[in-house]
Amino acid sequence: MGVTCVCQVPVVEGKSVQQTVEQLHKRLEQLGAVKQGSFFVDCETYHATTNTGAQPSKLLYVMHNSETPLSCLVLFDGGPTLAADANFDVLMVKLKSHFQNAKGHKVESRGARYRYADFLIKVGTVTMSSSARGISVEVEYSACVVPGDCWNLMKEFMQSFLGPSVPDLPSVFSSKAEGLFAPADCMDTMNQYLELFSKIRKQQVLPGSGVR
Amino acid sequence: MSGVPAVRVSIESSCERQVQEVSLDGVETYVPPLSMSQNLAKLAQRIDFGQGSDSDEEDPNGQSRVSDWSKQDLEGEEGLVKFQPCSWPWDSVRNHLRSALTEMCVLHDMLSVIKEKKYMALDPVSQDPIVVRTPQVFQLISKKKSLATAAQLLLRGAEKLNKSVAESQEQWRQRDFNAELLHLRSQWKLRKVGDKILGDLSYRSAGSLFTHHGTFEVIKNTDIDLDKKIPDDYCPLNVQIPSDLEGSAYIKVSIQKQSADIGDLGTVSLFRKPLKAKPGSQAWHLKLEAAQNVLLCKEIFTQLSREAVQIKSHIPHIVVKNQIISQPFPGLQLSISLCHSTMDKKNQRASPDKTKPDDHLYVLEHNLHQLIREFHKQTVSSSVMPHPASAPFVPKRLRVAGPMAYDKSEISSLQQSEGLLEKIVKQAKHIFLRSRTARTIDSLASRIEDPQIQAHWSNINDVYESSVKVLITSQGYEQICKSIQLQLNIGVEQIRVVHRDGRVITLSHQEQELQDFLLSQMSQHQVHAVQQLAKVMGWHVLSFSNHVGLGAIESIGNASAITVASPNGAYAISVRNGPESGFKVLVQFPRCQAKDLLKSDVLQDGKWNYLRGPYKEVHWSKMEGRNFVYKMELLMAALTPYP
Amino acid sequence: MEAPPVTVMPVTGGTINMMEYLLQGSVLDQSLDSLLHRLRGLCDNIEPESFADHELVYLLKGRQGNPFILRARRSLAHPTAPWHLRYLGQPEVGDKSRHALVRNCVDVAASHSLPDFLNEMGFRMDHEFVAKGHIFRKGALKVVVSKLSRALVPGNTDNTEPLSLSYLVELSVLAPAGQDTVSEDMRSFAEQLKPLVHLEKIDPKRLM
Repeated sequence: MGVTCVCQVPVVEGKSVQQTVEQLHKRLEQLGAVKQGSFFVDCETYHATTNTGAQPSKLLYVMHNSETPLSCLVLFDGGPTLAADANFDVLMVKLKSHFQNAKGHKVESRGARYRYADFLIKVGTVTMSSSARGISVEVEYSACVVPGDCWNLMKEFMQSFLGPSVPDLPSVFSSKAEGLFAPADCMDTMNQYLELFSKIRKQQVLPGSGVR
Repeated sequence: MSGVPAVRVSIESSCERQVQEVSLDGVETYVPPLSMSQNLAKLAQRIDFGQGSDSDEEDPNGQSRVSDWSKQDLEGEEGLVKFQPCSWPWDSVRNHLRSALTEMCVLHDMLSVIKEKKYMALDPVSQDPIVVRTPQVFQLISKKKSLATAAQLLLRGAEKLNKSVAESQEQWRQRDFNAELLHLRSQWKLRKVGDKILGDLSYRSAGSLFTHHGTFEVIKNTDIDLDKKIPDDYCPLNVQIPSDLEGSAYIKVSIQKQSADIGDLGTVSLFRKPLKAKPGSQAWHLKLEAAQNVLLCKEIFTQLSREAVQIKSHIPHIVVKNQIISQPFPGLQLSISLCHSTMDKKNQRASPDKTKPDDHLYVLEHNLHQLIREFHKQTVSSSVMPHPASAPFVPKRLRVAGPMAYDKSEISSLQQSEGLLEKIVKQAKHIFLRSRTARTIDSLASRIEDPQIQAHWSNINDVYESSVKVLITSQGYEQICKSIQLQLNIGVEQIRVVHRDGRVITLSHQEQELQDFLLSQMSQHQVHAVQQLAKVMGWHVLSFSNHVGLGAIESIGNASAITVASPNGAYAISVRNGPESGFKVLVQFPRCQAKDLLKSDVLQDGKWNYLRGPYKEVHWSKMEGRNFVYKMELLMAALTPYP
Repeated sequence: MEAPPVTVMPVTGGTINMMEYLLQGSVLDQSLDSLLHRLRGLCDNIEPESFADHELVYLLKGRQGNPFILRARRSLAHPTAPWHLRYLGQPEVGDKSRHALVRNCVDVAASHSLPDFLNEMGFRMDHEFVAKGHIFRKGALKVVVSKLSRALVPGNTDNTEPLSLSYLVELSVLAPAGQDTVSEDMRSFAEQLKPLVHLEKIDPKRLM
C-alpha cells in the first residue's frame, strides 16, 4: 500500500471516452509502463429508511476494490469508515428493510492496470448504469506511505503522461494533521474515489458517450 | 445185624516208608525200611531205662498183627477186642473205630424203630432262617459299586485340583495379559468397542487428514501349550493390523540419468532387511510401528501423487504405479517410489539391481517425513482458534485480510503455494546442483596444478541454498596473489557468483558453464599474479588488461595480458595468458644487447642504445620453477642486474 | 499443499447462506474442571485455548416489527484482532425432530472503527458483557465454555461482576444450508457429555 492519488481526466474534445482512454494507454506504454491485468472499483449507495424526520437520511456507500479483493470498504460521506470482509454484502442484504439500495446510483470504474517501476497506474472508464460518464486515473506510488513526502514526485510523474490536467494535493491528504505520522490508507483511496464518483454523478450525461 | 452186607473197613496204615524219590515215570522209590536191628536201636533209644515201665516191647511183628486184625470185619472183631489200656499204636484207631461202630449201631437201631412208626416219629425241626450266603456275583457288583463311588470321589477331587491349577495358570496368564495391555495402552490409543479392544495407529489425532482408518485389534494369545516350555518370545498379547499395512515400507528418492526406455517404469521393488527386534521391545510394538510407518509412507505417496497430477509444470510429472517421475533438469530424472514389501516368503528374492550403487537419497526421504509432519502440525496448531471466540474457524491471517484490506500480493503470500512435491523437487535440484558443483571444482583441482583451486564449503546451509568460497592461488605465493576469490551461492537452479571485485555473475545449472568460468578465472589469476609480483619485486606495470582484444579468439573467456618493466627500465616482460591458448611470455631487451639490430646513423647519442628494443620469446617450458609465478619471479630476478 | 479442508475455508461468499446449529447447556463452577477434562479428551488434539471477549449488542429500531440485532465482539486477549460482527436470524421452525437450534448466520470481520460506524448507521448499544472461558474444536464442531460477566461501568471491561455461578456451554457448527447430518453429529457429541452437562435446544423466543 502506498500513496494514491485519484483524479479525473476530462475527455478530449471531439473524441469519445474510449479514444481518450486509448490515448492515455498509448502514452503510458511509450513511457515504458507494462500492462498488468485489469482493475475495477465500484460503489453502491444505500440510504437509511428509518429517518426520524428532520435530518436527511444518511447515505451509506459500500465500495469494492479489485486491489483488495477480500475486503468491503464501507463509508459514510464525511463520517466514519469501516473495512470489513466480503460478507458485509450479505449483511446489507439482510438489512434491506432498514437500508435501501439505490440501484440506479451504482457507479463503477473499470480499466487496465499499468506498472512502471514503483508506480501503479490505473486508467478506468467510469460508468453509471452502463453509460460511460468519465475517465478516472489512479496513480499509486508504492515506495512511500507519507503523502507529504512524495507528492511532488507523483505530480511530476503525472504531468509526464496526463499533461495539463494534473490535480492538486487531494483533500484527504491535506486534511490530515501536519507533523504527525499519518500514513496513507486504503480508506483515503476510497474517499477520493467517492468524491470522484459523486462529482461525476452530479455531472450531466456526456454527449456522445452512448451505451457501452 | 446179620444179613446186612458187611461193610468192609479197610485200614491202611499211613505209609511208613518215606518217599525217597519220584522218578519221572511216577514210580516212587521208597526209603528202604529200617532193618530189625536199626529199628531196635531206634526204639531202644526211646526207652527210658531209668523208669520201670510196662511198655511192651515192640515186636517186629507188630505190623503183621495189625494187618491180620485189619482183615477181619467189624462184627467179628467185637468180641475179640480187648481193651488194653496200654498205648499201642493202633489203640486210638481201635477206639475210634469202636465208637464209630457204636454210633452206627445206635443209628441203625433208631432208624429201624422209626421205620415202624410205632414208638418214634420223625418231625422236622423248626429251622432257623438260614443265612443265605450271598452269591458271588452280587459281591462282585457291590464291590464294583463301592469302588466306583470311591473312584468318583477321587476323580472329583482330582478334577477340582486340576481346575484350580488351570485357573491359577489362567490367572497368571490373564495378569500377564493385563500387564501387557497396560503397557500397550501407555504407548498406543486403545478403546473398547463391545467386547473387542480396538486401537488407532493412524496420525489423525496428530493432525493428519488421510482417510485410512488405521484401526488395529488386540487379541489374546491363547495358542500356547501349558505343558510345553513357554518360548522366550512368548507374548500373551497379539495385535492384528489391517492387511494393507502389513510388512514394511519406505520412500525411495533417487536421481538418475534419464532412462531411455519409458517402458522400464513401473514397480520398483526394493527390500530392506526387517528390523531386528530391540531387546526389551515387544513383538506387537514392532508390528505397530512398522504398520504406522507404512501408513505414513502411503500418506506421503498419496499426497505426492495427487500433487503430481494436479500441479501444472513445464514438464509434467509421470505417476506410474508406485513411482513418481519428474525431470528436475534436462537429462536427469528424479524418481520417488513407495517401496512396500510384505513379509511373504515367496516374494523375498534378492534385489535385482544389486550392482547399481545405492543412489537412494536418504536426506530427501527424511525431509519428506518432516514435511508431512509439519503439515500435520499446522492442522492442529492453535492458530486455528478464533479470537474473538464467536468467529468462524478460519486461518488467522486470512481472517485479518478483510478488515486490514490486504492487497493481492499480501494475500498470495498468505496462501500456501507450494506443495510437498514442489518442495521435494526443489530440494532434490539443490542437492544435485551442489554435488555437481563440488564435483566440478574437485575435478578441476585435481586436473590443474598451477594455479591451485581451494574450495571452502560453508557449514551452515539451507535446504535450498548452500555456499562455497573458491580461492585461486599459486603455491608459495598465497599472500601475494589473492585477487581471485569467488563466493558461489548455489541455489535451486542457478549458481550466483560474487567476485571479489564486486561483479555478480549468474550461472545456470550447466556444468560446463561453471567449468569454463573457473578456467577463465584461473587464467586471469596468473596475470594478476604477475601484477602483484611486480609490485613486490619493484617492477613497474606498464599495461594491464583483463580482456585483450588482440590475438586469437579464445573459446572460453578472454585472454589477459600485462606488461611490466624492470626497475631500471632496461627490460620489460610481456605476458599474454589465455584459458586455451596458454602463456606467451616475451622479454624486451635494451637495444644495446640485441645483436641483430641495424646500426643506423639516425641515432647519434649512445644513450639511445639503452632503450628497450626488440622482443624475444621465452621458452617457458624450459624455465626452472615449479609454477608460473615462481618462474616469473626467477625471470624477473634474472633480468634485474645486480648493481 | 492441498486445498485446506472445507472446515477451514473462509466463510465468505455473498450467496452462500450459512446456518448456525446450536446446542446450549450450563455447568456449575465446581464441575468445570471435570467438564474441561472430558472435552480435552473428546476434542481435537490442540492445546487448550482460553479466551476473553467483550461483546456489545446493538439494536436498530425500525418503523415496524422487531428491532434488528447485531452483535459486535472483540477479543480482550488479542487487542489487535479484528472485530467480529454477527447477525443471527430467527430460528428455523423446522420439524421437531431436529436436535439443534438452526438459524441463519452472517459473520463479518471488521476493523476497529466498528462501534462508531454502527452508531452512525443508527444502531444503539443495548447491552454489553464480557465472556471468559475456553474454546475447543472437533472438526467443524466448536465447543465454547464461557463465564459471562457484566460491566459495572459501561465501557469499562476491567470492572466486571459475574452474572451467575455457572458456565455457559455452547456447541455450535457453521454449515451451509441444507445439511441435516450436522445435527446428528452434534447430538451424538452431546450424548458423550451427558452426565456432566445436558446440551439441548433452547429456543430464545421462549425466554423472552
